Amino acid sequence: MKQVAGIGLRSPHLVEIGRDRPATAFLEIHAENYLAGSPALATVERLRADYTFSVHAVGLSLGSAEGLDEAHLGRVAALVKRLQPAYVSDHLSWSVAGGRYFNDLLPLPYTEEALGVVVRNVGRLQEALGRQVAIENPSCYLGFAHSTLSEPEFLSELVRRSGCGLLLDANNIFVTAHNLRLDPRAWLDGLSGAAITEYHLAGYAVNDADGEPILIDDHGSRVGDAVWALFGDIVRRFGPRPTLMEWDTDIPALSVLLDEAQRADCAIAAAGSHAARAA
Amino acid sequence: MPLALRDLQAAFAAHIMSNDRADLIAAVVGDSIPAASRLNVYRHHVFHSLAGALAATFPTVQALVGEEFFRKLTHAFVADALPSQPVLAEYGANFPAFVEGHTVARDLPYLADIARLDWTLNVAFHSPAEGHLDAADLATIPAEQLPSKTVALAAGAGLIRSLYPIDRIWTVSQPGAPTETVDLAARAARLLVLRRPDDASFIVLSEGEAAFVTALDAGRSLERAAEAGFAADAAFDLSTVLARLLALRAFAALQ
Repeated sequence: MKQVAGIGLRSPHLVEIGRDRPATAFLEIHAENYLAGSPALATVERLRADYTFSVHAVGLSLGSAEGLDEAHLGRVAALVKRLQPAYVSDHLSWSVAGGRYFNDLLPLPYTEEALGVVVRNVGRLQEALGRQVAIENPSCYLGFAHSTLSEPEFLSELVRRSGCGLLLDANNIFVTAHNLRLDPRAWLDGLSGAAITEYHLAGYAVNDADGEPILIDDHGSRVGDAVWALFGDIVRRFGPRPTLMEWDTDIPALSVLLDEAQRADCAIAAAGSHAARAA
Repeated sequence: MPLALRDLQAAFAAHIMSNDRADLIAAVVGDSIPAASRLNVYRHHVFHSLAGALAATFPTVQALVGEEFFRKLTHAFVADALPSQPVLAEYGANFPAFVEGHTVARDLPYLADIARLDWTLNVAFHSPAEGHLDAADLATIPAEQLPSKTVALAAGAGLIRSLYPIDRIWTVSQPGAPTETVDLAARAARLLVLRRPDDASFIVLSEGEAAFVTALDAGRSLERAAEAGFAADAAFDLSTVLARLLALRAFAALQ
């Protein structure tokens, strides 16, 4: 079976991965955890010889109306230049307003105005990095009344205008669809697969909001059954892609994470045997 | 007329950090989960995730005050000062000063110094691994030039002084450390924090060593720094102190 699933490289596993070099399609790091320099960065540089890397940024704030923080952009660009990763990505969201950083993936209204802002910021990012980046669909807990585009329409138009790739997070589609009362399969109908460069998978939590369940993208458990089913649909529709298994809170033993990544490989193999040919 | 994106983001920011914004709530689709409850998911996550970041940087402060009080303390700090950029390892430089000004400092007068120690260890851990000065390098300098030489502290090195035995307090607060009583009146502490190959650590300095390191860090020559060390402690011995600090890789390589 072809290995296409990679795992997030997280600090509790650094020593074990450095020592045992387990087989995985790629290792992903969060850009913002490696900008300050540390013994962990030295470990990553050693691992580069044996692993393909993905640099996933969480703080570029591509949806900020005030534009990108050029100092932060410069640091991310320097890290990308240093590590030469196979994949680079960030989210369709914002986290900076008035020069203050909120450490969250905050939601955008899907309007022409916001589209213009994100197209400009993604263009600036791709210019600074000298390469294409992939933009990830976020988990949403609310929608704005004045949105005029659906999320897939917004993403498709972003791809068309900026030339970016798409990072499709199956868990985020499921979480958003549940929270905003959408049909996840209909969500997929609005998307062309050609621009998809990567998939993400993760677990979600169920919280209580005024007596109603609201799904939280906490990356703190195994992937939910309904998300596995949705992921199978995605792979049948769009074909296999490099797939990241994310786990960021209550991080389990490395063997559990690798086992979950292997389940993704199985799901891709099963779906791929009768998948639509990738566009 | 819907809010322009810049105004919507300013309203969102204000809503999360302080009072509910009616214009923002009106812009959000509510149903059986009202708009305000949906916004609360984000408000909660912002404070929760930044408290987690501060807990990672100030683990000893959290160990001393307990998780529940630490959450209250960090909530007040975050409300006062969000990060100015997304690298969370660089967030919290002002937390020790915040702790010092908080009412908790009346009961735990050493807590702000512990916060300084946690912060300085964090800075050392995230400092670049650069070359260090060793005895062989010093041997290449003609003896007559040595007294006027200046040497810089290694990248990430930092000196902390406290009226309290914060080295002991820090040690007994580490996970798994046996319960011990620390006599707060026992002695003041002078600590030198250093980056090591795989982590960061600190050593306890004598008064003479601390005066010597402080003078070197201020750009004084070896001779002047040794005078400062001797003035602070008549037992100060330059060759012994230099040998100790060189072995600990406390100085940066000569430029």
